[in-house]
Parts: sequence; C-alpha cells; structure tokens
Amino acid sequence: MKTQWKDIPVVPTSQEFLDIVLSRTQRRLPTQIRAGFKISRIRAFYTRKVKYTAETFSERLSATIDAFPRLQDIHPFHRDLLNTLYDADHFRIALGQLSTAKSLIEAVSRDYVRLLKYGQSLFQCKQLKRAALGRMATICKRLKDPLVYLEQVRQHLGRLPAIDPNTRTLVICGYPNVGKSSFLRSISRADVDVQPYAFTTKSLFVGHFDYKMLRFQAIDTPGVLDHPLEEMNTIEHQSICAIAHLRAAVLYFMDLSEQCGYSVSSQISLFNSIKPLFANKLVFIVINKIDLARPEDLDAATQEQLQGMLKSGEVELLQLSCTTTEGVMGVRNAACDRLLAARNAEKLKAGTNSSGEPTGRLGDLLRRIHVAQPLGGVVREASIPEAVLKMKKYDPNDPDRPKLERDLEEEEGGAGVYNYNMRKNYILDNPDWKEDRIPEVFDGKNVYDFIDPDIEAKLAALEAEEEKLEAEGFYDESDDLEDAEEADIRYKAELIREKRQLIRNEAKMRKSLKNRAIIPRGAKAKKLSEMEAHLGSLGYDTSNVATRARSQSRGRSLARGRLEGVDGDAMEIDTPKAALERAKSRARSQSTNRRTDGVTNEAARSQAERLAKLSQKKMNRMARQGEADRHQTGSLTKHLVAGKRGIGKTNRR
Amino acid sequence: MAVRAQFENSNEVGVFATLTNAYAIVAVGASENFYSVFEAELQDVIPICHATIAGTRIVGRLTAGNKKGLLVPTTTTDQELQHLRNSIPDAVKIQRIEERLSALGNVICCNDHVALVHPDIERETEEIIADVLGVEVFRQTIADNVLTGSYMALSNQGGIVHPKTSIQDQDELSSLLQVPLVAGSVNRGSAVVGAGMVVNDWMAVTGLDTTATELSVVESVFRLGEGNGPSAINTTHKDAMVESFY
Repeated sequence: MKTQWKDIPVVPTSQEFLDIVLSRTQRRLPTQIRAGFKISRIRAFYTRKVKYTAETFSERLSATIDAFPRLQDIHPFHRDLLNTLYDADHFRIALGQLSTAKSLIEAVSRDYVRLLKYGQSLFQCKQLKRAALGRMATICKRLKDPLVYLEQVRQHLGRLPAIDPNTRTLVICGYPNVGKSSFLRSISRADVDVQPYAFTTKSLFVGHFDYKMLRFQAIDTPGVLDHPLEEMNTIEHQSICAIAHLRAAVLYFMDLSEQCGYSVSSQISLFNSIKPLFANKLVFIVINKIDLARPEDLDAATQEQLQGMLKSGEVELLQLSCTTTEGVMGVRNAACDRLLAARNAEKLKAGTNSSGEPTGRLGDLLRRIHVAQPLGGVVREASIPEAVLKMKKYDPNDPDRPKLERDLEEEEGGAGVYNYNMRKNYILDNPDWKEDRIPEVFDGKNVYDFIDPDIEAKLAALEAEEEKLEAEGFYDESDDLEDAEEADIRYKAELIREKRQLIRNEAKMRKSLKNRAIIPRGAKAKKLSEMEAHLGSLGYDTSNVATRARSQSRGRSLARGRLEGVDGDAMEIDTPKAALERAKSRARSQSTNRRTDGVTNEAARSQAERLAKLSQKKMNRMARQGEADRHQTGSLTKHLVAGKRGIGKTNRR
Repeated sequence: MAVRAQFENSNEVGVFATLTNAYAIVAVGASENFYSVFEAELQDVIPICHATIAGTRIVGRLTAGNKKGLLVPTTTTDQELQHLRNSIPDAVKIQRIEERLSALGNVICCNDHVALVHPDIERETEEIIADVLGVEVFRQTIADNVLTGSYMALSNQGGIVHPKTSIQDQDELSSLLQVPLVAGSVNRGSAVVGAGMVVNDWMAVTGLDTTATELSVVESVFRLGEGNGPSAINTTHKDAMVESFY
C-alpha cells in the first residue's frame, strides 16, 4: 500500500496548461494548408487539429486526476489526515472540476468535428477550428483555481512523512509542551524541533528505531488541548487522526511539574475525554520530567485522580525524564514489548482455525520456529582452533589492524590494477620453493601425471600384481575342447537354421508384391509343365492329367491337328482346321492415308492445309513466348525516371 | 560470529566460497573485498585459498569438504589441483572424483562427522566420500529436494534446512545428524540456504541481503558468538520471528 505520494507530477497553472496543449498541437501536426486543396483534405486537416487538441487536453487532465490519491482507496488514517489538511470536500471538488472540464472539452470537440464535416471552404473550416480551440481554452482557463489548489496539495503531500499505518508504531500524544518531541529525539534519530513554547510541533513527525531486530516507527503528534472535537484546529486534528486510526501503542505524556503551563487535573481530564479513541489499543501513561516532579510528590487528591486513570488495569504508568535520560529506554522497551506481544497474540489467533490448528502461512512460520533437537546421545565435537578464541576482533578503524589483501589492493592501485600473488600463502616444506615454476608439459608428457613421488613404487607394485595374476593363470583361456557329438549337433543345427532362413527368404520373395496387383490363385496362369513337374516330383503319373489338360486348352492349331490323331478320347470337333478356315475367310482391313481422308480432291486438300496453318499461326506465336518465360523489359536510365526534379525542365522525365 | 558479505553484487556467498574448520576456498574475483571478509575473520587461523575449479568461480558449488578432506570434481585441472594441494594443509586429503553429478557442493552436505548426499550419487563416490571426508554417508532429500548441499547449511554445532521442511522431517534429519536443526532462510527469504551462506564451527558468512532476524537464527543455531544457542529461536527471538515472517 502507498504510504507517501512523492511522485505526483507537477500540476501546471491553467495558462501553462493551455500553452502546453496548444504548442503541442502546433508542433505535432502539419501546418501547411492551401485553399486550392481538395475540400475533403482541408476538412480532414482541421478535424485532425480539433480532435488532437481535445485528446491532449483530456490525456493531461486524466493524468493529473489519476496521480492524486483517491480518498476512498487509501487507508482511513491517510484519508482522515488528507481531510484534515486539505479538506476532503475541497479536494474532491477540485478533482471533480478537472474531470468535468475533460468531458466538456470532449463534447466541444465532438460538436465541432461534426460541424467541420459541412465546412465549404478553407476559411470556413479554419473559423470552425478557431472556435473549437477557443472554447476549449475557455474551459481550461476556468480551471485556474482548482489547478492552483491541487499544485499546493501536491507540494504539501510530497512532504508528508511516510507513515505506514500497519507496521509497529508508537504514537506519542499529550498536552502541548509536555516533552513529546524530546522523547522522540531521544529514542530515534528524527530531527524534531524542540522549543520551550506550546505548539512547536505543528504536524506529525516520524522517527524510526530498532528494537529486538525489528524496525519500529514512533510518531510525534502536535499537542492537544482539552476541548470538544469541533473546536479543535487543524494541528490538533492531525493528532486525533493519528491516535484514532493507527493500530499502535499510545503513549500519553504528562507533565506533573506543570512547567508546560497546564495543570495536572486538566491533563487528566484531556486523557478522559479522548479515551474513546484508545479502544482496542495499548495505552501507556508516561510521566515526563520526573527530575522535576514525580507522582509521589503530588497532593493526595491529584494522586487519587491519577490512580483513577490507571484503575481499568489496561493502562500502564511509566516514568521518564528526557533531560536526565532516566527511564527513556525503559519506557521505550516496555511499550515495544507489550506492542509486540499484543500484535503476536493477534496474529497467532488470526492464523489459527476453529479447532486450534495453525493454518496457511502461520503453519509455515511455526515450522520455522521449531528447533529440532537430536534424540540420540551422541555429542558432535566442534573443532574450534585455539587461535579463534584468542583472536582480536577485526576493527577497520584500528590503526594497528592486521593488513588485509584489500588494504594491499588499495595501496597497489585498486581493483583491476592489483594482481595478488596466488603463491604467497603456499604451505611448502621449504618457503623458497614458493615461486618455483613447474612446466605443464615436459618432453611431450603431462608433468602432473608424474607428480606422485611414489609413482615408480606404485607402478612396480601394480606390475608385480599383474605378473602374479598371470602366473596364477588368472588370464588363461579356460575353454576346453568340446566333444565330437556336441560339434556334430552344432553343425546340424547350423544347417537347419540356414535352411530355415532360405525358406523364409523364398516365402518372403514370393509373397512380396513388388508393386504388382494381388492376383487370386485361380486366376494365375500356371504352365502345364510346372504341374507335371510338381506331380512327378510327388510320384504321380501325369500322362492322363496332362492329356486332359491339353485337350481342354485351345492350343496352337497345327499342334492340335497332330495330337488329335494320337489322342483317342478327344472331344468331337465339327471340322478339322476350322480355325484356319475362319481366319482366312476374313478380309484384311486396309490401312488408309489419313491425310487424304474426307477430302475430295487435291485442291481441296491444299486449301485445308493452308487454313490449318493459318489457324495454327497465333497459337505458335504464343507458344514461343509465354508469361512463364523469362522476359527482359527495356531498361530505363535511372536519373531520368527517379529522384527530385532539379531546376531544369520537367518534361524530360 | 556471523558476517554479511557480497561477491560482486551477488548474495549467494555459498556459491563463491567453501568454508570448513581447516581451510577456506574463495573464488577469484575482480577485487579482494570478498576475500578480505574471510581474511578479517580467519587470518592466521586457517589458510584461505583463492582458487578456481575448472576455470569457473563457482567453487562453493563444485567442491565439498570438511576439516579432513576436500572433494573436487573431475573437471578440475591438474594445475588447479596442484594449487589447492600447495595451499591447503597436508593433513587435509584432496581427492578428484569421477562423478556424473559434478557440482559436488550441491549434492553433498557435510560436517566433520556426517554427510547427506544426493540419492542418485554413484556407489563408488559414496565410498570415496566416506573415506576422504571420514564421515558416515546417508542418501537423503531435504523437503523433497534432492540437492542436499543447496538446501542445507551444516556445521558440527547445528544446521539450517529449507524453510518449507516439515517438522517431522526436521526431527528425523536432526536425529540422523545429531545436531539441532531449524528451517530457515537467508538473503531476505531465499530458500537455498546452502548456496546462500557458508558456515563452520565458529563463523558464518551470509549474503548482504540477510535480514537481522535471519542472521539471529543463523547465530543461534550454529552457536556463533557467546551465549548463543538454538533454544533462543523459539524463546527470545520468537516475537521478532513472528513479527517479521508473518
């Protein structure tokens, strides 16, 4: 959440605003127009001007509106503070005026753009544009006051202290001049003005301090007088706002010495009248200036009143003196401790579900707070050298401090110049060896492969082991000769495998289609000789089957004639050589010359030929050069067809 | 003693340094600032060695070691190994390991007694770790992360694990290691505690971003400085921890 608004851009005055917008229109848009141009072009030119100006206006206005915090979106503390300081109504109205102006300008732009569509001449269009821009400028000039006000708000807002309403906070309040600012000065580094008169502090001040590794903010508020809320001024309102809205520990400061100029009883009555604001907060009554007056020094009646304040039990009495610094840290720590405890209790409660189990992020947190202690009894020895315990803590400001590499670096010219000596801290038997150079490669061998002083011995040991193993026959070929029977089986098995593979290959060849159609077995032509061979190989007599098959097939006529004599049980055939006869009886169709087909005489033929050639002519020409063919257009001289024209004539181009 | 430091604008101290009870290895940087952070605390106590491993500066992630030994990956060059050998006391064994998971700092988390290693590390490597570092080796995961070295910072006095480790896992690991453990973060909420800090029995170096609360956890669990003990975490520091982490 935003806690400060330092980055709001400057709000220009109405005149500056106008200058910004109009000069931008002038700079960003074209400026040349002539009466001779087409009317549509003239209209477009001026329409663009009007539209662009309106856009710039509305863009800048909405940027200003958006930069300011929206009161309904910020923390109630900030909302109330802004209300106190700048008057929320005034602020809203100012922003509202800006937003109204924006919509008015947009309406003006719309109207004039509509009118421009009917502009008949350059002059008419220009007058319309002038009128539009003039009306926009008038609207803008009316924003004079809100803009000035918003600029002032911006400047003030940027200087407000960054108060985070949700963090750990101490709010210091009380009558004027009771020592609130002195306390803030003494617990934090905030440079608050302390003066011996009332209302030295006129606004909220924030100081930060660390306690228990946590950052706290302490807020110094202006003094409050005991009168009804309506009568309070802006300064007091800020205090009330801080007390009312911040979830914080409230330190109510009291001055029993009455040096501040207000009686103890009036201080007590102020406490009682602003008590409703302390609901659900930690409240401490802090007695300041105990070097002058302590609670014990008071008369009985006032003491009783004081005790009455503490009666409820929720209020704690603390004492301090800013001049002697007695009790300052005690008060701070007491307040911080209780604040932390209260915040923690709240957080733990919020993160626990109805059955009392931590959920979500609280569960994660508890996991991190848990310290797992080992169960077994083993003690892990720490090895801390003696030198550590004796070592003096390094102090960079000590003139006798040990010299570090960084100091050397500084002396030798700083980072990037200084090269530290890597060999400086070598732990060697003889310190003289530190700078000795060892070649990386020597006689073609990597030196580091031979760096081991015992390498010879190790090699010898390895070789001895190897020899030993060899001697024991560890590496001997131990596979003895297999007997003849096994060899035979192996041989046969090999043959079987080979045969199988062949069969498999053949079948594969047979079955593979090789891009041919699948032909059913019945439709496949098979030679008679093949059938005979196959049946013969199976040991059947094939003569009968063969003659029957022959008799059924048509066969060659000459051969059939011969066979008919041999074969007795052939079918009855009506006439011998019938096929021959039939073939001879049919006249041979004569081949004709197609060129003379359908043409009555020679003249008609040449005529037809000529016509054919003629009709072919165009087609031929097109065929020679088509759109797909490479084509080179006639080249033109570049300076004649491109670029700007010079002073000379234009018709040469 | 816990100090904050930065290596060339990086908070991941554990990436650029290795710290043990017998020696420290620091990456070679453009300036000596990071080295001098160690020097200021360790000068004349243990040797601090500028080194590169395989020409890189991520020495903390590539090496793993304790006071008895140092393991470097197979990519370490002969010259680098020689330099380390010359700079580190002879009592410390240095071993180059042929391991597929070559970022040994990420896969091994050890103190002088125990090592937790990546579950997929090779058998031979496991044996070498046990021999060279003189530790018991356990294959473990931390909050379901296999990179034990990245998600755990360990010394002989305590350890920090990944902040999301369950209480049960913490107790189991603690019993295994026989040191107190907490789940914590360094460098303003970074879960890679192993890579974000280095620690030995008397000092820790964390990233510059580490918050005061995180640093107090580090000092307590590792018993750095006088009177610091792990029990402070859920007693004296509890308020601050609830405030800053929730």
